[in-house]
Amino acid sequence: MTYKYFFGCVIPGRLPFLEASARKTFEKLGIDVSDQTQYSCCPDPTGVAALDHKSWLALGARNLSLYENDNSDVLSLCSGCTETLKSVQHILNNEPEEKEEINSILKKIGKNYQGNINVKHFAQVLYENLDAIKENVVKPLTDLKVACHPGCHYLRPSEIIQWDDPFEPITLDVIVEALGAEPVDYELKKDCCGNPLEKSDKNLSLKLLQNKLESIKNSGADCLVCVCPACYQQFDFNQREVNKRYNTDYNFPVFYVTELVALALGFNADELGLKFHRIRVSDILQKLNV
Amino acid sequence: MGMLKVDFEFRKEIVKEDFSLNYCYQCGTCSSACPVALATEGEYNPRKIIEESLLGLKELLIKDQKPNVWLCSTCQMCVEECPQNVFLTEIFDILKNKIVQTGNYPEAYNIQGNAILEYGLAILLTTPIIRRREQLGLPIVESANIEEIRKLLVATDFEKKINTNGYSKTGKGEK
Ligand code: SF4
Ligand code: SF4
Ligand code: SF4
Ligand code: SF4
Repeated sequence: MTYKYFFGCVIPGRLPFLEASARKTFEKLGIDVSDQTQYSCCPDPTGVAALDHKSWLALGARNLSLYENDNSDVLSLCSGCTETLKSVQHILNNEPEEKEEINSILKKIGKNYQGNINVKHFAQVLYENLDAIKENVVKPLTDLKVACHPGCHYLRPSEIIQWDDPFEPITLDVIVEALGAEPVDYELKKDCCGNPLEKSDKNLSLKLLQNKLESIKNSGADCLVCVCPACYQQFDFNQREVNKRYNTDYNFPVFYVTELVALALGFNADELGLKFHRIRVSDILQKLNV
Repeated sequence: MGMLKVDFEFRKEIVKEDFSLNYCYQCGTCSSACPVALATEGEYNPRKIIEESLLGLKELLIKDQKPNVWLCSTCQMCVEECPQNVFLTEIFDILKNKIVQTGNYPEAYNIQGNAILEYGLAILLTTPIIRRREQLGLPIVESANIEEIRKLLVATDFEKKINTNGYSKTGKGEK
């Protein structure tokens, strides 16, 4: 089985440099991933599911049917998309009535859901290819202290996600370590960054973010790493807002894990578009001498 | 809670969609695990939302929105820790879907829903992003067949369920 990308909405439309780092990384590692261009919004497990369960299920099933038709597994670049697609599969594969109803809807657009492919988060695929990563590292990220933020939808609900440990996640630390960097532990590692609350209560959203940042600060990390565009935006776009409101001076560069892998594989900051980060990464690049 | 109107039908409707509601024995583990309960000093409280659902306190949950179910950050910690396997976030979605029918919900959700109706995606590419993609050597984003997406959403009555006032085909769905 080969993979096809599911990029979601946020990465191609707002954070294309994250897409670039993923494409470069997977290509370099020799993992066969191609494009599927006909997907819609996954749709967002924190947004559309709240509006209407049936529409969420139907759109998700349509997306899955595209990949089934191509005989490809899904390689998702976003934790939200991964959660939606896995949840939709879980529901349709366990509830025959729902499956029947959704398939009668899909029939109107000439599609059908079967439930015979895998949905994988890109970090899972990286983890499953650790040896290839280690073999290809040409610029080890020596002495870089990294705080990993797995984020909620990468981990939970574990019954559906079936990956990593929902309370003591380790997979990202293992990947970061394979690059020669040093993962650091911190108290609120498994906690939410607060991003979804932006839709209902910005203050509360920033409060959760501040809790996280304070915990990361205490760990002595140089930077943080995440694997979801929603988390990325929360940390990279809203750190300054937190500083304004809480009179703090957090200044952690935020990397997608594919960006760190790509740097270790020898790609440079220009190719990866690292200048598009809001929190400057130049100190880190200097430290790494890349 | 003497003055509150108990609506058994309401509880039944929720249970029909998610039976796990019935398993709750009100231990409060969910609320101790909840980062939003902590940050709001208990004003937001998942255990209470489940209790009110069990009691069928429709007005409190749907009209007054107390506690406010939209303050759930969907982090799934409660679901992970609940000893009774109550699927809290799914129950919250059932409640949110019901609130959406009343029209009284945060606008940001509506913006997203309308964008999907209009473009199939929650975010539309802007000219600077298209240029940035070029610079990075990324392919042009083709989009899903929007007629197909709309047909699907007609079949699920999406447009009737959400508030589309002032959105349709105006480009305002963009966020
Ligand atoms: S989860 Fe987010 S990024 Fe993924 S498709 Fe949905 S809205 Fe888009
Ligand atoms: S940490 Fe925040 S943005 Fe990231 S997955 Fe969790 S809820 Fe989403
Ligand atoms: S943890 Fe589960 S059983 Fe306990 S109060 Fe919450 S929902 Fe009910
Ligand atoms: S999913 Fe919602 S209710 Fe449950 S712990 Fe997270 S924020 Fe609290």
